[in-house]
Amino acid sequence: MDSTSTAEADYAAFLEKVKRTVYIDSLSPQVTESVMRTALGQFGTVKNVQFIPNYTGPKNIPCCALVEMECLRQAEAVVSEITQFPFMMSGMPRPARAFRAEVEMFDDRPIKPGRRIQCRWVDRNDPDFEVASKIKRLVRKHAAEDLFLLQQQLAQEEKLAKQQEETLKANYKKFTIIDNVVSDGTAPGLAKFYNMKVFDA
Amino acid sequence: MVEAEKVDCIEFKWGKKRGVGGKKKDVQFYESFFYDGVDYTLYDSVYMYKEGETEPYIGKLIKIWENADKTKKVKVLWFFRPHEISNYLGDEKTPKNELFLASGEGLGNTNVNPLEAIAGKCNVVCSSKDSRNPQPSDEELQEADFVFYRAFDVGNCRILDKIDEKIAGIEVKFLLNRVGNQNSSGVPKLDSNKKEVSGNAVVTDYRRILAKKESYLEEKAASSSGVQFDEVAKTNERQVLVKEKLKVAKASGDLDDRSCKKAKLDDSAKASYDNKVKSTQKLRHGSNDSSSKAVAQLTPAAEDKSRPNLTKDPQETNNALSEKPKPDEKLANGKFPEAPLRRPSEEGSKTNYKIQEPTRRPETDRSKWFRGLPWEETMQTAHEQGTLVLLQNLDPSYTSAEVEGLIWQAFKQSCTAKMIQRTARSSPHSGQAFVIFQKREVAEMAVAKLDEVCLMLPNGRPLVGSIAAPCFPGKQSTFFGHLTINKLRIHMQREMKEAVSTSHCSQPNTLEYDMAMEWCLLQERSDLALRKLRQQQEQELRKLRATLKSK
Repeated sequence: MDSTSTAEADYAAFLEKVKRTVYIDSLSPQVTESVMRTALGQFGTVKNVQFIPNYTGPKNIPCCALVEMECLRQAEAVVSEITQFPFMMSGMPRPARAFRAEVEMFDDRPIKPGRRIQCRWVDRNDPDFEVASKIKRLVRKHAAEDLFLLQQQLAQEEKLAKQQEETLKANYKKFTIIDNVVSDGTAPGLAKFYNMKVFDA
Repeated sequence: MVEAEKVDCIEFKWGKKRGVGGKKKDVQFYESFFYDGVDYTLYDSVYMYKEGETEPYIGKLIKIWENADKTKKVKVLWFFRPHEISNYLGDEKTPKNELFLASGEGLGNTNVNPLEAIAGKCNVVCSSKDSRNPQPSDEELQEADFVFYRAFDVGNCRILDKIDEKIAGIEVKFLLNRVGNQNSSGVPKLDSNKKEVSGNAVVTDYRRILAKKESYLEEKAASSSGVQFDEVAKTNERQVLVKEKLKVAKASGDLDDRSCKKAKLDDSAKASYDNKVKSTQKLRHGSNDSSSKAVAQLTPAAEDKSRPNLTKDPQETNNALSEKPKPDEKLANGKFPEAPLRRPSEEGSKTNYKIQEPTRRPETDRSKWFRGLPWEETMQTAHEQGTLVLLQNLDPSYTSAEVEGLIWQAFKQSCTAKMIQRTARSSPHSGQAFVIFQKREVAEMAVAKLDEVCLMLPNGRPLVGSIAAPCFPGKQSTFFGHLTINKLRIHMQREMKEAVSTSHCSQPNTLEYDMAMEWCLLQERSDLALRKLRQQQEQELRKLRATLKSK
């Protein structure tokens, strides 16, 4: 029974790995492995970075990645820091999010030892056929709902991004105007005229 | 019709004994055995059949034994075909019949397989000029099915020009040509026939056993109609094969007075299938399916014709035939003791009810020992070829290997599966996986069948399948939420280069922080919406599942 015990040991080792791994979400596509390593290197030692590819959803959903830290404590630190403070990675102001990783997020997860999956065909004569077909339809419907919600949310994100961009532009414009006014001598001139003190100096 | 009797039960006899082994001295090693009309000895080269593969594998028998539970095993040292190691061969052109002996340490060197997986003898001659190697004569080289003079190190993945002194604990002198007469001794004729057999297996992609049966037919046909098989045997041309199969089909038709029916079936696999249902039923091995090809070739008409024949067999009557006669399902009726895919015998007579349990296939799938192309490329090609299927409603905790087992169990098709990794957005109710089938027809068949009837997984999950339209990430450019000020861009880029890390936590007294808070708010709102949706979905699902009669 060597093989089962090694399988169990493998699985236990894998669970350990899951525990010290952090799932990072809302990432810009510009985040590369090295960016990730330096970013999370502030909290501990990054052992491995794996981006989760998106094959099903719309193209422009944010990226996500699994980052394996050296130990459980570091993983906890990463999650708590990033959750408490908005954490900017490769851009701002949208913060990245961090959660503890789950087993199902891993691509290379080993088979859970001792599990056996049984399946059976249910054909038209089976009493369960009706219900099974309904469930199948429901699953499809749910997938469509998911997609719809995702698209709605993406639209909202886009809206917020546009809004913020405008705010930022306006703020920047204000800033440049003030800056110009100060630097080209208009402000000091006016101050002199009205006999006001504008500078602390 | 003595031979017809033989067909029903493959002949087997142990030959010379060697030692005993195992912890309790209950393992008996042998030096030779007689199987299906052929004498095999230690260090013979053999074809090993692997279901779903287009070509049989070739290996050398380096150990033969019988376990205490009467299972017969052989340990095989593999030969690699050039295309299997093409990544390491580079641009080098190799002759079609060149093989590479596996050597070195590591996965892929040897394997233990059930003895029944042997499909026939193979005449492999070592053409190495090495002094340790008894040089083959020109004639022998001519007659050889394959030659080898190089080895492939599975540990370092390198081609070796010189064969190691010892491979897998076997001294090299046993692996090279034998002193005196060569491998082909004893059964020269059969060898060439066997090659043809495997050729047939290639073309029809059909079960090894069937192929074997055909070989009997061929022999019979050869003797009765005087076809020169040796000539044909050397060619790999499909046309010839097809023609020949036609002959076989006719011959076999003549033999059992059903020629009128047979002649119409243009597929000899089908013909022999009809003939041999009875015998094949007894055989577990490769309880695999008729592969895509066979399925594709079964025209509806042929199926119709086959049905009356099938029902002749008493066991078949209450079987799954009412819906769709699938040869593979019947083949799963294993009688060999260790049959992994055996079906419980208490089958409901009406409802075609059978529990199936995915198990992993025999460990002969060498294609997975070496890293293949990156998944994305594989998927892209599969998508273009229409062999990519998206499965939904899997338990999210299944692994890719388990999904492969599942597909194997349900369709008797080998495939490559990949669970889609979960993200924060993925549904916890329905796991998804991509599955790549070997042929477009198979993928379409699987999707249609999943659509028509239901494949029920545990916990009331009927599997949902559809031809996948994956989205390839490629170059993603849009990402909402990261702002830059155009004029500052140049300035910022320089800053980014100089900075050790551009990632930081924002401080509460900045504009950035305020904006980040807006994002957090939006995120929270999205999460809430998603959670609500999930709750609702779960309720809907639970309600439906509660109405399932069998759990």
